[in-house]
Amino acid sequence: MTRLSVSGVTKRFGGITANRDVSFDVAPGELVGIIGPNGSGKSTLFEVISGFYRPDAGLVRLDGARLTGLSPDRVCRLGVARTFQKLRPFAGLTVVDNVMIGALTRTRDVRHARAQALDILGRVGLGEKAHAHARTLSTGQRKRLELARALATEPRVLLLDEVTGGVDQRSIPGLVQLVRELHRGGLTLLVIEHNMRVITALSQRIVALYLGEKIADGPPDAVVRDRRVVEAYLGQAYASPPEGGAR
Amino acid sequence: MRGTRAALACGVLVALAPLVVRDAYLLDGLILILLWGSAGAAWNIAGGYAGQISLGHSAFFGLGAYAVGVLATRWGASPWIAVVVGAALATALGSAIGFLSNRLRGPYFGLATLAVSQVFLIMTSRLRTFTSGSEGIPVPFRPGFWTLGIADKRVWIYLILALAALLYLVELYLERSRRGYQLAAVREDEDAALSLGVPARRLKVAAIAVSAALTAVCGALWAPYVGFVDPLYVFSVDLSIRFALAAVLGGLGTALGPFIGAALITVLETYLRAHLGGLGGGLVGIYLIIYGVALILLMRWAPQGLLPWLGELRRRWAPQETAP
Repeated sequence: MTRLSVSGVTKRFGGITANRDVSFDVAPGELVGIIGPNGSGKSTLFEVISGFYRPDAGLVRLDGARLTGLSPDRVCRLGVARTFQKLRPFAGLTVVDNVMIGALTRTRDVRHARAQALDILGRVGLGEKAHAHARTLSTGQRKRLELARALATEPRVLLLDEVTGGVDQRSIPGLVQLVRELHRGGLTLLVIEHNMRVITALSQRIVALYLGEKIADGPPDAVVRDRRVVEAYLGQAYASPPEGGAR
Repeated sequence: MRGTRAALACGVLVALAPLVVRDAYLLDGLILILLWGSAGAAWNIAGGYAGQISLGHSAFFGLGAYAVGVLATRWGASPWIAVVVGAALATALGSAIGFLSNRLRGPYFGLATLAVSQVFLIMTSRLRTFTSGSEGIPVPFRPGFWTLGIADKRVWIYLILALAALLYLVELYLERSRRGYQLAAVREDEDAALSLGVPARRLKVAAIAVSAALTAVCGALWAPYVGFVDPLYVFSVDLSIRFALAAVLGGLGTALGPFIGAALITVLETYLRAHLGGLGGGLVGIYLIIYGVALILLMRWAPQGLLPWLGELRRRWAPQETAP
């Protein structure tokens, strides 16, 4: 069974190849982490999956249906929701209105959408902030808001770009817990994350990218010890350890 | 809802005015306030709710006005038919502009619309045989409701009040409906809206088209009221700015705002011109300076528009009221 299938995706910007022949599958209910040093093409891959970029080659499928070539709003209506690395709340709207925009993709009834939005806000721990303006939220709260908004579109796959990026240390455990609960609820997730401790603890599987190519794909503990992954992050000196292992 | 109650009160006051006021000058002022308010409200659909700031809405207004002039002089058709024809043409033009400028954001959309209105200005001034060129078209006065040959200003008040009510209801719909919420999302952040399944491109085009059509309706009712269609006026940048100004001053993206803004502009302009603009007074033109300064001050102290500003004042002066 495959929920999301990425096959042979290549995306070029002029002379730069941001993604080269990237392929992997995500099973229903799986939580897959995507790692790689800065500039390795993680975010580009998200843009391709969510329809914001059209790949130069390759295909993305959701439950067998082709997503490639569709506009981002169609991709969302088919069941792929995303968050943005650089957060993009509707700053002038209230928190509950933000989430309603997502809910209104699935229902035509404004009152029903409001009720749903309030319910989701409660689940992500923003219930008390429902009527505040989005611009008044802290970064951690904004992350929760983006999550709530995306969840309101009732996705089959949720793409999370940097769950803990830019968030103060104290807020990280709560966010991680939230993602874990979503996963436990049966949601399929694809997560980009820089914090290694977080991503290895969360993921069932990790895909590692380097310079646009997939260099590893497997269980977290295997991937983080993979020679090419260590090389990518730290350089060759650390990948060929002398006796006793590298520090 | 406080806003709708205020609007209803304004509507009732205007409806009662003709029973008390007999002065043609005052009635004319009231009609123009309602008309410019309606045009501002129509502009507000694209500019305020969808975030597509147009600087060329006179193109649509002129299209409506010319539909009246040309249809009446060439085929003797009723202005009511011209309302429909003008709205249809404006819908087509608005959709085309919306579609073509979909990728343009920010000031570029404004410049594109500005250019379109100037193209119409030049076209109508040059096409002597079809639009009578720069001389303009006098709208023939044929008495009757069907031909809108109405001399009684009190009838006009009710007619334009109905137009204003229609526009107010459209804006209320945009504040409370699903499409309205989605439009607000597009205005705030188009990419984020897209990522949440909002068909942003289609909504933007639709908002511009509806805004254009309703602006044309305003133009088509203005023409028989004033009785003369002049290309230099109906396609002017001045007029485009007037629509935008009414909405911006009153409160961008608010239902009642454009009418408040229009009232302010019309009263200020008429008053200043009447008292300071007289020829030979040595102060010719100074009313424009005062007008400009007043607008600057207003934008300095109430940048979000009069209506939101009043709401804020109210909250500040009555803090106990908002506390639970």
